[in-house]
Amino acid sequence: MRLETKDVVVSLSRKDIVKQVSVQVRENEFVGLLGPNGSGKTTLLKSIYRVLRPSAGYISIDGTDMRQLHVKDTAKRMGVVSQFNNLAFDFTVEEMVLMGRAPHKKAFSQDTEEDYRIAREALEKVDMLDFRDRSFMTLSGGEKQRILLARTLAQQVEMLVLDEPTNHLDIKYQIQIMDVVKSLGIGVLAALHDLNLTLMYCTYVYVLKDGRIVADGPTEDVITEDLIRRVYEVDCSVERHPKSGKLHVTFFSNLQED
Amino acid sequence: MSKKTETKVYTNSRHAFLRVLIIVFAIALVLSILLAVTIGAVKISFGDVYRIVIYNATHFKIGSVETGILIGDLDFASKGTMYEIVWNVRMPRVMMGAIVGILLAMCGVVMQATVQNPLADPYILGISSGASLGATFSIMIGASALFSGVLAGMGTAFWAFAGALGAMALVMTLAHVGGGRITSAKLVLAGCVVGSLFGAFTNIIVYIGQDAENMKNVTYWLMGSMAAARWHNLALPGICMVAGLLFFITQLRTMNTLLLGDEAAITLGVDLGKWRRVYMVVTSLLSAVAVCTCGIVGFVGLMIPHIVRGFVGSDHRFLLPIAALAGGIFLIWTDVLARVIIPNSEIPIGVITSAIGAPIFVYMMIKKSYGFGGADR
Repeated sequence: MRLETKDVVVSLSRKDIVKQVSVQVRENEFVGLLGPNGSGKTTLLKSIYRVLRPSAGYISIDGTDMRQLHVKDTAKRMGVVSQFNNLAFDFTVEEMVLMGRAPHKKAFSQDTEEDYRIAREALEKVDMLDFRDRSFMTLSGGEKQRILLARTLAQQVEMLVLDEPTNHLDIKYQIQIMDVVKSLGIGVLAALHDLNLTLMYCTYVYVLKDGRIVADGPTEDVITEDLIRRVYEVDCSVERHPKSGKLHVTFFSNLQED
Repeated sequence: MSKKTETKVYTNSRHAFLRVLIIVFAIALVLSILLAVTIGAVKISFGDVYRIVIYNATHFKIGSVETGILIGDLDFASKGTMYEIVWNVRMPRVMMGAIVGILLAMCGVVMQATVQNPLADPYILGISSGASLGATFSIMIGASALFSGVLAGMGTAFWAFAGALGAMALVMTLAHVGGGRITSAKLVLAGCVVGSLFGAFTNIIVYIGQDAENMKNVTYWLMGSMAAARWHNLALPGICMVAGLLFFITQLRTMNTLLLGDEAAITLGVDLGKWRRVYMVVTSLLSAVAVCTCGIVGFVGLMIPHIVRGFVGSDHRFLLPIAALAGGIFLIWTDVLARVIIPNSEIPIGVITSAIGAPIFVYMMIKKSYGFGGADR
């Protein structure tokens, strides 16, 4: 599946937050979306997963304008892990993950053994199978985040849209979740804060600033000391790590050390 | 491998248990109906009550001389005081309790899912304030004073229904103002605004009216009662209840998804805006029907869904049927209390539902394991 936005403009309270942004995620491509706070990453993603409506431009899946597709059809093909909101009602972890099967279900169809198997496999992948009978609300932020990923895995989609999926997670699970996502071998569009994680997993990145794309290209070409200074306004050095062979960003404090 | 088998058994047994629970509640509802008919201010023996009920319910087949199935002397079963009390007063009343209880509890469950707010009840869109205004207007001023023709002749129920629909339309319009998607917060606020506006109108009518007898009627109506139940006015709420149940049974999966929040619902393929509007209009219509037949019966639509959710969880496939049945059972028995608690008198059922409901609610608030749908913090 190929996801494409073309000159998308999204306005909130009459202010343009996303300004004529065109991005493209090809099949099996892990694409990162970078940018400082307030640069419009989340807003762009929300318009892609249909919570916000673009005021101009269009978003397409395999060349079909998304407005012509029912939300149920997009839900069968595109899964979303967004920044976590509190719930008003409780479910068990397993019920929560089974909800990921919803787009594939008709009104009357029962949850089959197949659905349970898919849900359990998803829970296994995020290392949460032992929590299946727990109440979702009693989980920690990081555990909730992993359950939501499991729910999206149970959706069995061709494309993932992730909004800072590693928020709330300690480093072990940051790497675990990114590994899980990468190993699915499907298209991914992920808004990320951590440049080193981006360098580890993304093959292509778009950099947003003030609602516009200021740079895009293969990850290692785009993430440079100069770009980080321009976009994030911090000093750093980007060097190839001797062991991993990947580029690595080291940031410098603004405080003068004696 | 053994781990997986264990999970499967667990899940299925829990669901199997809940399915059995639905059947248990259905049986309890039937038993409640049968038992509640035997209780009342006038003492009538079990045998006589059931002879009357069976004779009339089977359209005079069982008990008639022609079919040969005799259940004793049946002169009293088709005419006279006992027949009137059992078949024309108690029976429709008990049925009305069941129907309205089911309607309100069902609407409460759906409303809470629709606005994703555990504080929602069937009256949230201003139904109660609108119905109050309509009823007060009809009782205190009298429609004939302002209208002529058909409108003038309409009873309190009609005006209550009209008021409820008016309030609902106003709340929906207000929630739309300013554009954008209808959010739960907007709806709740619009409901409050319309509630206080209509409340003000109601108060001014009562204040100007100053007629003690009418005032008592208004108060009585506002607090709800099944006393007006007769076979002929059971039809509308009965049909609405069945239609509502049939409709919402097709929506249980969608309602589950709605509970996950706006964004999650959309990303799981639910056309949120459309269904939210549909559910609100349907539940409001159903609650308006309930309100106009028996006044405002508070607490059932709020409390029953909570209590049941505390035991069976948030999965609507089990919550909705069990809550609906529990609502019916609850209202049957509160109505029995309303009839017998003070000899030779009757108190409004709304008083009893609140008097029983409030302590149960407090108990559930204190009990740590139930967070009113929310987390335990």
